[in-house]
Order: sequence, then C-alpha cells, then structure tokens
Amino acid sequence: MGPEVERELIRKCAGGDARYYEPLVRAYEPAGLRFALGMMGNTEDANDALQDAFVKAWQNLARFDSDRTFQPWFFQILRNQCRDMLRSRKSRFRVEVLDESVSERASDPETGPERARERHAARELLWRALEMISDEHREILVLKELQDMPYGEIAAVLDVPEGTVASRLYHARRALKEALDGLGCGEP
Amino acid sequence: MTAEELGHDQLMRYLDGELSPEERIRVEQALERSTEARRELALFQALKRDLGGLGFSVEDDDGVWGRVNRRLTRPVGWLLFLVGVALWLGYGSYVFVTTPGELVLKLATGGVVIGLLLLLVSVAREQYRAWTRDPYRNVQR
Repeated sequence: MGPEVERELIRKCAGGDARYYEPLVRAYEPAGLRFALGMMGNTEDANDALQDAFVKAWQNLARFDSDRTFQPWFFQILRNQCRDMLRSRKSRFRVEVLDESVSERASDPETGPERARERHAARELLWRALEMISDEHREILVLKELQDMPYGEIAAVLDVPEGTVASRLYHARRALKEALDGLGCGEP
Repeated sequence: MTAEELGHDQLMRYLDGELSPEERIRVEQALERSTEARRELALFQALKRDLGGLGFSVEDDDGVWGRVNRRLTRPVGWLLFLVGVALWLGYGSYVFVTTPGELVLKLATGGVVIGLLLLLVSVAREQYRAWTRDPYRNVQR
C-alpha cells in the first residue's frame, strides 16, 4: 500500500467511517500477527493482542500525526498491548507456535522426515530460549529478526534513540545465547 | 579503527547491515586484527541465521477484521438502540400518565410493564456476564 493511499485511508477513518479501516487492518495484519506471535508465543494470545491493538489504534486515529507512517505507530500500540497482557495475570509467554495452525516456511529446500524432525527440535529449542529471556530483550529480537525492521523503525516503535537499538540488540543476543547455553545448546 | 575500538554497537551494526560502505571497511579491518571479535561475530551470525529460520506464515483464514469490525460498529448500534428505547419509554410514560383513566388500571399496567422490563434487564445482565466468562467466545463455529 502506497503512503498516499494510506494517508487518505487514515484521513477517512479519522472521520469515523469504519469501512476504510478494513484495507489498513488487512495490510498490517500479517506483520502484526508475526510480531504478536513472537511476543506472546501462542496464536490465541497473539490474536487477542492484535485485535485489541487494532481497536485501540482506531480509537486513537484522531491523534495520529498523518505526516508519520502508520506502521511504527501501530507497532508501538501493539507492543504496548503485548506487554500489558504479559504483565497482567491473564497471559504469559507460552510457546505453542509450532502447532498445526501455524505452518513453517515453505521455501525450505531441504526435505525428509529426519531433517524435518531436527529442524523442528532446533526451532523448539530457540522458542524455549526466547521464553526464558526478558520481554524487553524478546521484543527487540522479534522486531529485528522476525520483522526485519531497520534500526530507525525499531527506534520509532520502542521510542528510544537509534543509538540505543544496537546496544539493546547486543544485550538481547547475548541473553539469548546464554539461555541456549542453559538449555544445553552450546553453539546455535 | 583498532580492534579495541570495535565496540559491541559497531559489531551489531555490521552484522545487521546498518553501516555505510566506509564504516564497513573500517570494521572489517578491525576484525582482521581481532580473533576474539571474529569469534563473537561468527557466533552472532549463526544466531541470526537460526532466528531468521524461525519465520512462519499463518494459514489464511478470515483474519481479525471480522472481529475488529464487530467491536468498532456494535457500540454505535447499541447506543442508537438504547437512545431509541429511552425516547420511546419517555414518550410512552408521558402519554400514559397524561391520558385520563382509572388509577387502578394505570397502576396494574405500570406494574406489568415495569416488571417485564426488570426481568428483561436481569436476564440480559446474566447472559452478558456468562458471555464475558466464556473462554470459547472467539472460536468460529
């Protein structure tokens, strides 16, 4: 979706017409769900967080600065929603992303049941390690590695100076490495 | 740039492709001089590769739009419905009170109407409380 189209849709949504919100929701749903899954670890909580974030974004569209792009602003709302849910007693990071409702990347050229089992075990180990690190470390790793966001956008989502992103990523990666070591996986 | 000057931040920026070509050359020169930095970089590269492999695509379904749309439009519907009911009740009460008639009949009719309304509100409240506690309310049938 082009920035001009996006701006126009947001302008119409701010006028209260929910029909124009559908293309925005559909455009940002895949990336939002990926982030929420990375943060929450299971589809049920991820869907709840995503739904709440879209509703909150709608309720605050009047305050949205149309000179900015929608993505970092929306991800800021979604990130806060995920953190609020994780802080509340209702949800906690729970690894269930490898269930049948989520399919793995189709582009993997290697096939065979043995190799598939190994990959599955390696992925599960990584998810367990992600479960062990702090929410702050997990969120920056998800933004960088699953969303492939540049530092500038990560800084906008986390509301920190761009210089802080590299430092936080270093500590997050170290924490993940230590968690993997703790799980008996010396080298990733 | 010396190997000692190659800090964690520069290493991360190099790993994530966030450096200018000139900065990359300087970091690569510093890496050539430091076995420790090269080892750390290799470790982070492996971690990055594995994390990248965690990517997943969610099977296409109805998506969240249906549920989001319901939450956006229902409050408006409820508001209009309640305002309409309040107006009808107000007007009906006014007509009922101001129309000449026997007091006993008016009291009996008023009792029936108010009693029905109380029952309706009580059942609606009970149903709403049960719905909010239903863990399967978002499950598509």
